[in-house]
This record gives sequence, structure tokens and C-alpha cells, in this order.
Amino acid sequence: MLFNSIDFAIFLPITFILYWFVTNKNLKSQNLLIVIASYIFYGWWDWRFLSLILFSTVIDYSIGISLSKQENQNKRKMLLWTSILVNLGFLGYFKYYNFFLDNFITAFSFFGTDINANSLNIILPVGISFYTFQTLSYTIDVYKRNLEPTKDFISFSAFVSFFPQLVAGPIERASNLLPQFYTKRHFDYSKAVNGMRQILWGLFKKIVIADNCAQYANIIFNNSSEYSGSTLVLGAIFFTFQIYGDFSGYSDIAIGTSRLFGFNLKQNFAFPYFSRDIAEFWRRWHISLSTWFRDYLYIPLGGSRGGTWNKIRNVFIIFLVSGFWHGANWTFIVWGALNALYFLPILLTNNNRNNLDVAAKGKFLPTIKEFLLMLFTFVLTVFAWIFFRADNIAHAINYVSEIFSNTLFTYPKYDQDDSKRSILILLFIFIIIEWYGREQQFAIENLGLKWIWPIRIAMYFAILFAIFWFGGQEQQFIYFQF
Amino acid sequence: MKRFVIKSLLILSTLILLMIIADYYISEKLKETHNSPGEIEVWNDIYDKNIDADIAIYGSSRAWVHISPKIIEDSLNLKAYNFGMDGHNFWLQYLRNKEYLKYNKPPKVIILSVDVFSLAKRKDLYELNQFKPYMLWNSDIKKFTSSYDGFNFEDYYLPLIRYYGSMKASVIKSSSNKNPYRNKGYRGMDRKWNNDLVQAKLEKKNLSIDIDSNTITLFNQFLLECKSNDITVILVYTPEHIDGQKFVKNRKEIINIYNDFSNKYDLLFLDYSSDDICLEKEYFYNASHLNKKGSEIFTSMLAYDLKTRANSNVYKK
Repeated sequence: MLFNSIDFAIFLPITFILYWFVTNKNLKSQNLLIVIASYIFYGWWDWRFLSLILFSTVIDYSIGISLSKQENQNKRKMLLWTSILVNLGFLGYFKYYNFFLDNFITAFSFFGTDINANSLNIILPVGISFYTFQTLSYTIDVYKRNLEPTKDFISFSAFVSFFPQLVAGPIERASNLLPQFYTKRHFDYSKAVNGMRQILWGLFKKIVIADNCAQYANIIFNNSSEYSGSTLVLGAIFFTFQIYGDFSGYSDIAIGTSRLFGFNLKQNFAFPYFSRDIAEFWRRWHISLSTWFRDYLYIPLGGSRGGTWNKIRNVFIIFLVSGFWHGANWTFIVWGALNALYFLPILLTNNNRNNLDVAAKGKFLPTIKEFLLMLFTFVLTVFAWIFFRADNIAHAINYVSEIFSNTLFTYPKYDQDDSKRSILILLFIFIIIEWYGREQQFAIENLGLKWIWPIRIAMYFAILFAIFWFGGQEQQFIYFQF
Repeated sequence: MKRFVIKSLLILSTLILLMIIADYYISEKLKETHNSPGEIEVWNDIYDKNIDADIAIYGSSRAWVHISPKIIEDSLNLKAYNFGMDGHNFWLQYLRNKEYLKYNKPPKVIILSVDVFSLAKRKDLYELNQFKPYMLWNSDIKKFTSSYDGFNFEDYYLPLIRYYGSMKASVIKSSSNKNPYRNKGYRGMDRKWNNDLVQAKLEKKNLSIDIDSNTITLFNQFLLECKSNDITVILVYTPEHIDGQKFVKNRKEIINIYNDFSNKYDLLFLDYSSDDICLEKEYFYNASHLNKKGSEIFTSMLAYDLKTRANSNVYKK
């Protein structure tokens, strides 16, 4: 079920009413309702893959309990590896099987050996990368004795399948989300209103910004050889906002929806395009995944401790794995490598923690230095997104080489009608609103709260109007494919 | 909680009210357009109760571009209107008939243009924009269009939803092209023979049409209804170029079905498949559509045949 669908618009109020008015007396029934609703939410797409979620849930629940009872370190290690192998096994099979097979065949044929193996027609289960990482974090935390394993199967099932963040995150840690299923939730008016506002803003980001940018980004990327360098730059910028609007919009809707049910999820995007260096960008972009890799991969590898070569190795590992997590394509790996290259100089010169606070904190405008740093970081990011969006490496290289041609300084042309102007105006307004709200959890968190109610309501309707007026391009959420 | 629910309901009610207003506005704007091509003009005439016809011409585009109501009127001295519906089989032609009879005075005679596709049923809802201004809470339109790949359940009941993604386009389109596309539902096409048939032959050696059993049932129902309402139905197979006739593998079987209907209900069936006009590309713009010149010659021919029959009072077989 998509957040931007009529199905969800019907599903959400029904679940909300059942949750607060029917099952509110009993915590277990409320949690059970969440499990049922989440399975309906997921099964709406393809009910067959519910078995995967259920299997992961049962395995990690059982392993969690076994880990708590087991004192023998070797056996504990074996239990942990069982969980890792099962979860990554699913992920590997569904997401990476064909990729590895194709690359093996290519590699062997390069050395003159032909291998006869056919690719399988595998459907990638939506959200598998997200819930796999979420359950893995539980087992690892229990193994490390950072977390007490749960004996409440329903709560654990609800934690694994919690519908707002099941298919595209944020990837929640058990230490944050699981305890929230143990305690009775009380309806909090201001939290619910805040949630609704975040949902509204998320829908705006997805439907108005991302989907409209996608329209042009797709045209330009799919026919890149026909366009001038300047148009290709514009195409890359459109994709930059498409992916931000799409993914952060989804996270906003997920967090806002959770708030309606009394849950607090962690912020997943903190205005990354206002970052002053790439290290700051990665502290602000897809925070739940970055911190996952930091805690479960980068730090166990030694992090930024040790010698220079260790640091370089660890940075490359984390960024390459992060790229590969996004999909079975070399384009994602190159995207990861590029980010590693951006990040390394900052890390090696110990400047990776220079910009911990928000840009121009407490001020309306940034200094010229801040502005230039943000612009530089943005340009680096846009460049990396070209590899992320391209169909393959050759496409990306052609795209980049076309940019750096003598048509770079011509007037960009990509469409015959006036809608290009309206999307540029929309983007400008969007950036202003995001900048204005950059110190909050989401851009409109405080916007209009002190206004008189008719104006505040008018603002909501203006956003809704924009959603209807500019919406309908019906683009899938990009991160569903991951 | 109470406060939250009340406020949410208030906002939702306001939103629904605004959606109804916007829906009405966009529908009215869309009704002003002449797109789809000119189908909306016919629907407007139907729903605005503007049709006063003695002779109603039904069918697909082969009715729409083949039979000129003006020539029929001049020749028979009776009022006529062409309800031909581009790209659609009898299933949706029946919907148009139903809505026409619901809001307007019934005709005395229906000339039903039949062809090889009439009893088939396409999967997609071709030119679906034509239904948008009229379909909200319209059970007839829902009944006849919901079996196609086109609209979702909510499109029939929730205001504005069916315009989602085309609101801007609907309003902008309405401000352009103010001239009517059709005249009493008809438009003669000033076109020359094109290579549609060559293209079709490149894709397929020949074509076999699947007859839809539900459409056959509906066809029977329609003929019974006309009989009980004392409306004379005349089946007409309008000219089809000989090359196009050869392209359809089961054409003979389909024509036999119309002959069976003609016998069963004692209907006049005028089949122009063997007329000399079918040999001349000069009168066609593709294998199944006459151009303006061809349609005028054909309508005169049809009017003459009808007049001859009328004089001898034999609009029956």
C-alpha cells in the first residue's frame, strides 16, 4: 500500500479508530492490531512475501531468547551468525543473486570460460533491505548485551512489521522502538497534530516536489544524448530534489503516522542539502541507515581509530557497502566510492566533525563562507547522484562527459510548455521553506503555529491544493526498490 | 482525543466541500472543450436535453464520420442526430443510447451502424476523459465503464479524485479551441488514404475478432427494448474498403450474426460491403473509414434507400 494512495487514505483512519477507540483498553490488543494492520498494509502489495517477514520475526525472536539463556560464547556467536546468515541470505537471494551471477559469467567469459547459467526471474520483496536491517540490529544488540531480549512475541512482531516504517524506513533500533510497545500509549493532542502536519509536509515533498522533478529528470536521463550540457546539469539537479523529496517525504509520512499512534521514530533527514561538508551531509542524509552502518560495521571495523590505511579501508568499506545496499548495480557502488573519496580528505585532516550544528544557527541568512561551502557540498552531491540515477556506468560516464562539453553554457532546453517554469518556482519556494525550518524536525513543524487559526488552516489547504494541482504523476517511491 | 477528532472532521468536511466545488468547476470547464474528439459535445447535448431527433444514428467512429445528419434531414425531411462514438464497441454505444433516452425524447428510428468490432469489447477505456464531467455518482456510467481498464472505484464516488493528475490540463485545455468539432454529432474527415492498413498488415497477417458474449446479450436486450418502445431499428453495415474486408478473417461469421439478428427481430439490414464505393480508395482515408467526400456520397445513398423504403413503408426486413 502506498502512502500517496486512496487505499492508504481509507486504511489509516480505520486503523486509527480501531486503535484508539476499540483496542485502547488493552495494550496487547493494541499491539496485535498494529501487527494485523501492518500485515494488511504489506500484503496489499503482495501477500506471499508476508511469509518472509514472519519467518524473519520468528527466527530473530527465538534467537534473541536463546542468546539470553546461552552463556557459552561460541554458541552465542553461532546463534548470532545464524541470524545474520538467514537475514542476509534472504537479502542476498532476492536482491543480489542475479547481479552476482551476471558478473561471474562476465568475469569468467573475460578469461575465456563460458558458463551456462540463467538468471532467475526474482521479484524483489518491497522493503526487504529495511526490515532485514531492523531485525538484524535487534539480534546484534542482544548478542552484545546492549539490549534485553523480548519475551513478548506480539510486541516483537509489531516492532519488525510496524507499518509506517516497514517498507522504506526509518530503520529503527530495537532500543528505541521496541520499549514503546511495552508501555501503554496515551493519546497526545499536540503530538497527533504535529504528526498530521508532518504527514502533510511529507505528501507535499513526495507528490509536488519529487514527482514533478521526476517527470523532467526521467525525460532528461532517459534521453541524455539528445540534450545540451546545461540541460543535463538541470536534469541532475531535478533528480537531486526528486530523491530528497521522495525519500525524506516518505520518512516524514512514516514519522507523522507513527505519532498519530503515539510512537516516536527517529528523524531520518535533517535538511542534508544545507550541509557545509560531506561529513555533515552524511550526518543529515538517511540518518537511520548511516548510523546503522556506523554502529554495526564502521565501529566494529575500528572506525577512525588506527593508522591512515585502516581509516581509508574502513571509509571505503562503509561507503561501498552503503552503495551496494541501495541496489545490485555497479552505479550504486561507484556512487558509494565517490562519497568515500569526498569524505576521506575531511576525515584524514580531522575536519569531519567541524559542522555539528545547523548552518547559520539562529540567523536568517548564512555568511558568504557558509553559503559557498553549502554550494560546494551541493555540487559534489549532485555529481554523485548522476551515478546513482544512471542506468549503468556507461550511461553515467556519457552523461558526465556530455555535461562537460561546449553546450554547458547554453540555455537549458528540455520541454515545450510552461510547466518547467512552475516546477522551478516550486523548487525555489520549497528551498525557502526548508531553509526557514531547518532547525526543526521537519520544515513546517513550527510554521504558522502562532498564527490565528483561519490563516493556519488556510496554509494547510494551500498545501493540499498544491498536492492536488501539481500531483498525479504517480511515481513510485524510489526507495521501495531498495 | 475528542478535540482532535472534531477538528479533523471539520477540516475533512471543509476539504470535501472544497473538492465538490473544485470538481464542479473543472467538470464545467471540461464540458466546454471539444477534445476527445468532440465526444463531450454529444454528451453535453444528451445531458442538457438538447436532442430532438426523429432519426438517431448509433455506432462507432464508422457512424460518426460516415453518416451526415444534415443530408438525412434534407432528404427525408426528418430531424437526425449522430451519436457515433469513436473507438468504442456496442457495449458503450448502449450506454450512450441509455443516457440519451433517459434525458431526451426518444427517436422514431435508430440507424445502428454495425461493423466487425461492434460485438467485441476492448479492454481499455478509450478516450476516458469524455466521461469525467458526468460520471460522479452516475450509476449508469459506472455500470458500463467499470469493466474497462480506466477508472477506479473511488473515481465514481469521490469528488475531484478522477481529475487528480489532470486538473491543470483540464482547466488549461478548456480555454483553447472554442469551435465545435462536430455538427449534430457528425464530422466529415477531409483526409486522403493513409497507410494504416499497411501498418496493421506489418503487425499481423490478418485479424480475427473475438465476439464478447455479454455484448451479444446486451445487443439482444437493446433490440427488445427498442421493440417494446416502438422504435424501429435499422442495421447498416457502412462501406468498408475491400482491402480492409479481406484483412478480417472471421468477417463472414460476424456478418452472419447480424443477419441472424435481422431475421430474429425482423429488422432491415442494409449491408454496403459489396457496393462499388468499397473499391475506391479515393473515398476512404483508411480501410474502415470514409473521408468527407465518401461519407457524403454514402449518406446520400443511404438516405435514398431509406426514402425508397419509407415510401413503401417498409422499414422492416
